[in-house]
Amino acid sequence: MSTAVLEVEGLTRRFGSTVANDGVDLRVRAGEVVGLLGHNGAGKTTLVSQVVGLLRPHAGSIRVAGVDATVDPATARRCVALQAQAQAPLDGLTPRSAIEIAARLRGMSRADARSAAEALADELDIREWFGRRARPDGGGLSGGVRRLTAFAMAAVAPVPLVILDEPTNDVDAGRRRRLWQMVRRLGDEGAGVLLVTHNVAEAEQVVDELVVLNRGRVVATGSPSQLRGSSNQDLRLELSLHPDGSDPSRNEEVPFPIARRVHVGRRVLLAIRAEDAAAAVAWATMLRSNERIEGYALAPVTLEDAYLAATAADDAAVDATATATATEELADA
Amino acid sequence: MPESTTLAPPARVPVGVPPRASLWTINGTLLRWTMAQTGALLPLFLVVQALIAAALILGFGFLIPDIDTRTAQFLSTGAPTVLLMVIGLVICPQGVAQARTSGTFTYQRALPVPRVLLLVSDLIVWLVIALPGIPVTILIAQLRYGFSYSIDWPLLLGAAILSAIMATSVGYAIAVLLPPMLAQLISQVLVFFVMLFSPITFPESHLPGWFQAVHDVLPFRPAADLLRAGLLSDDFSASGRDLVVLFAWCALGLAISIRALVRRG
Repeated sequence: MSTAVLEVEGLTRRFGSTVANDGVDLRVRAGEVVGLLGHNGAGKTTLVSQVVGLLRPHAGSIRVAGVDATVDPATARRCVALQAQAQAPLDGLTPRSAIEIAARLRGMSRADARSAAEALADELDIREWFGRRARPDGGGLSGGVRRLTAFAMAAVAPVPLVILDEPTNDVDAGRRRRLWQMVRRLGDEGAGVLLVTHNVAEAEQVVDELVVLNRGRVVATGSPSQLRGSSNQDLRLELSLHPDGSDPSRNEEVPFPIARRVHVGRRVLLAIRAEDAAAAVAWATMLRSNERIEGYALAPVTLEDAYLAATAADDAAVDATATATATEELADA
Repeated sequence: MPESTTLAPPARVPVGVPPRASLWTINGTLLRWTMAQTGALLPLFLVVQALIAAALILGFGFLIPDIDTRTAQFLSTGAPTVLLMVIGLVICPQGVAQARTSGTFTYQRALPVPRVLLLVSDLIVWLVIALPGIPVTILIAQLRYGFSYSIDWPLLLGAAILSAIMATSVGYAIAVLLPPMLAQLISQVLVFFVMLFSPITFPESHLPGWFQAVHDVLPFRPAADLLRAGLLSDDFSASGRDLVVLFAWCALGLAISIRALVRRG
């Protein structure tokens, strides 16, 4: 028997001529935290909206805890707890009553809802505001406390699939750490967690699997270490270019092998082997003294590098295709 | 020494689809949620209704010198209908339009509850807000004109609840059908139509024939006639046709609202 709590296959959704999801495949198993990464507009929220029955897919299938979400969205919604990217409607409520309401809607008894809310207040360290009412003018509770309350509303009841869309926005560093611990615990307790974020560095700490979306398509998938590259000992040499400066690693001979190159704005990120560190520093120092670059930094390679590499490579491929098509069209004309 | 094994705690999450909470629990919980959001404004709504009632009963009275009992009765027994229409067709759509703009509407549609119950809890809260307008108008009319009422309770309660549900569901439908800004604009225009161009606070005979025919199929005059017959049962009566018209508008409003809640984009 499959333990997958979310199985998305070939999911496609268009808005006019824009393809927001283009044949997306995704799987979240029970007990697993899967990160869904992507830039703004990559199609992450469109995917989530289809899972909870707000949007109808144009093609493909979604199964939540074995239920076909496209045919029976109401039953599928019972299997999903969603913390949406937008703030939850808490006006007039205290965090305590909001969390209890979320628990009661999922069929928990009054007593269980109360004790679960109490436990969450301590775990997320929001007891100070637990009995304070959120006011419609935005007062009463800060954005961070509202966000933590919305997270607790999604985490309070045992549900096969928990979807968290940017759960740490506005949350301070200390409570952010508590939240990540709780996300990990949700998985350990048997729920599948789909963590939607563009914060790669934070996601890296808790996820078992990562799926990178770009322009509606899955461009990379795997565990953090698989995505990061061949070896955890790899290093990243970051070159800061002058305004309009060219990438020196392309234009001249580099005295060491480069595993991966990503050019983002005025930064060039080069993945190199640890044993080439001394040669890399010597080369970068020479570039700086020749005023070819503004500066450089050498650090362990991160998931963010792999993420940027996956999305940048896809963008380049799409741009190349678009250019080729445009050239062909011009030639035809 | 034998190898020690630590067992993971038993999984909290059951396999398969979780059971649904009872509809009664869901409805009660949603009501608590909606009441917390909208109900906080209940005292304010009561004051606003009292002010509108005073404006209608006293203000319109100033326009008519030497007001006779019949005219005073029309004004006073039309005021509750105006209040129900204002709450349902103006204030409710503004609330729903705001919920759509703020994302609350979408948030609630993603909840693990039958979406029809979202509408039911909203209707109940608006009913709780709208119905106190009736005793408020009776009180103000009593203080000003002092004529006696002959209340037919079943008819009054039935007409009040049906009119309030009709107005609220049509208002809700306007708010979910149109873009939020347009919905708010239309609801503002409706106030003037209800107050000045609908035979609610004055007899239908004051209008030209063609406009009377229009009001035979619009819900405003039928609602007013039914409520008036409930308040002054000795002097006024309502027809079964009025009831049919109200039910038809109610069904239309509910159908559009439920469709908007249930359908996927």
